[in-house]
Amino acid sequence: MILKILSVVAPVFVCAAIGFAWGRTGRPFDTRMVGALALNLGMPCLAFSTLTSLNVSPAAFATMAGAYALALGCFLVVGLTVIAVLKLPAHTYLPVFTSSNTGNMGLPLCLFAFGPEGLALGICIFVMSSIFSFTVGWSIYAGRLAADVLYNNPLIYAVALALAFMITGLQPPVWLANTTKLVGGLAIPLMIISLGVAMANMRAQGAVTIIAISVVKLLAGFAVGYALAELIGLEGAARGALIIECSMPVAVHNYMFAQRFARDPSATASMVLISTAISLATLPLLMIVVL
Amino acid sequence: MEMLQQLAGIVVPVFICIGLGILWAKVGTPFDARLITSLVYNVGAPCLILATFQKVDIAPAVLGEIALATAACYAAFTVIGIALLKALRLDLPSYLPSLIFPLTGSMGMPVCYFAFGDEGLALAIVYFTFGAIGTFTIGAAIAEGSISFRKIARAPVIYAVIAVLVLKATGLRLPEWAFNTANLLGGMVIPAQLVALGVSLLVLRPGGMARSAALGVFRLAMGAGVGFAVAAAFGLDGAARAVVVLQSAMPVAVSSYLFAQQFRRKPEEVAGMVVVSTAVSCVTLPLLLLAVL
Repeated sequence: MILKILSVVAPVFVCAAIGFAWGRTGRPFDTRMVGALALNLGMPCLAFSTLTSLNVSPAAFATMAGAYALALGCFLVVGLTVIAVLKLPAHTYLPVFTSSNTGNMGLPLCLFAFGPEGLALGICIFVMSSIFSFTVGWSIYAGRLAADVLYNNPLIYAVALALAFMITGLQPPVWLANTTKLVGGLAIPLMIISLGVAMANMRAQGAVTIIAISVVKLLAGFAVGYALAELIGLEGAARGALIIECSMPVAVHNYMFAQRFARDPSATASMVLISTAISLATLPLLMIVVL
Repeated sequence: MEMLQQLAGIVVPVFICIGLGILWAKVGTPFDARLITSLVYNVGAPCLILATFQKVDIAPAVLGEIALATAACYAAFTVIGIALLKALRLDLPSYLPSLIFPLTGSMGMPVCYFAFGDEGLALAIVYFTFGAIGTFTIGAAIAEGSISFRKIARAPVIYAVIAVLVLKATGLRLPEWAFNTANLLGGMVIPAQLVALGVSLLVLRPGGMARSAALGVFRLAMGAGVGFAVAAAFGLDGAARAVVVLQSAMPVAVSSYLFAQQFRRKPEEVAGMVVVSTAVSCVTLPLLLLAVL
């Protein structure tokens, strides 16, 4: 059991540590370029390749994406309640509850806990999470309705194409399968290394409110994921993937958005950093629950 | 038809990835080639080596044979290259490294992988490792005029190779957590290198096209000829023969251009050789695959 847990969490720790060391030693790291490489090339290919090669049924895709949509609804309620109680501005604190590290941290955990099947289920959730972050999350930061970030995201087109193959039951040609498998290999390692670099470059301020919000976000996420998995009656890899993804810390891209729209980026950085640190420390416990 | 699909499955991913790199540079998106190279050489490549040799079980005798065949290929490239350049009265330091060193990493490894799976990749890595050691010692020594062993001792790839040899000799295996980590990090090597190759092809400033085109094409022809001859001399067959031929016949390595640029050894002409030989290999690579598959 301990060895199994180690085999799931070690890749995330080691990759993040490489990024952290990279950032701390002050070597140059162009986060935007690496992010673009991972998210615009790697991630769409990984999603297409995983969804089509494992013959994920459209029903399973809908179940996982739907379950996470329900979770997002719960996160909004939790977020709005916390904000109302603490009298905080929604444009800075609400997306903290709804945008999580479902890609860079959630996907490798799903992969190593449940194999390629887990990765496929995690990707269904990641797609829903990305759509939400780039429409609702982005609009909350911007203070106006905006969906253009979504249209510019190649992930959406890759998933649409994958769904076409999944629904018709056709197999993609070998050259396309090989190409997307190859390029997809970029996504996860580059994302986790970037996460480490970002953590090395962010500074945390240990205000009580910030720590409290981070803890509430993580606990609420886990509770929502656990309860929904029970309610829907998910089992095995599906249950594990949902609980893992719901328990992920505050997404790093919240910090980028907060910087862009001047929504207290230093408070956001602190929540990202503190929730990620707590999450990394408690990952073995999470694995005991899901494995 | 089936053959055509198999060929497309091997060649198309390689050229699409290079194309993505060219597109990336054309659009004007910044690309920090130093960062990507550093990630690949220091982190990715050693992990790829560790993970691949855990996945396949290749007899040490076969590995030794490929290593010897590789050395024979490089010796042949060197002798033929020197003879040609002397005959043409061309400057050795500028042109010799480009004739000797094929693009075994970013292009040879994916081609061998898609043609023969993990076994092909493992054999291609053996060829690549010798090439990398050669490029950074002999190649740099020719361009620079002196040899540097400190560069070899600082290359993380060497330590990964030593670790693999120790694991093979003792019969030990990596624990699952180390294998998972290495497998994950190793996955970025080939796509990152291919995209970087595409980006660098676009920023190259080729010159002296007639001569560099002729030399580039000569490298492809010589590589294939030497590859077939060495494979026959060593009595190789199957994947081992194909890997030696394919790796030998790869286009001019981009690293030759980097050295030429660093030491001011006609970088424009070396760039021309890289571009022409890579472009020509779009046509010759499928033909070569037909011959070895």
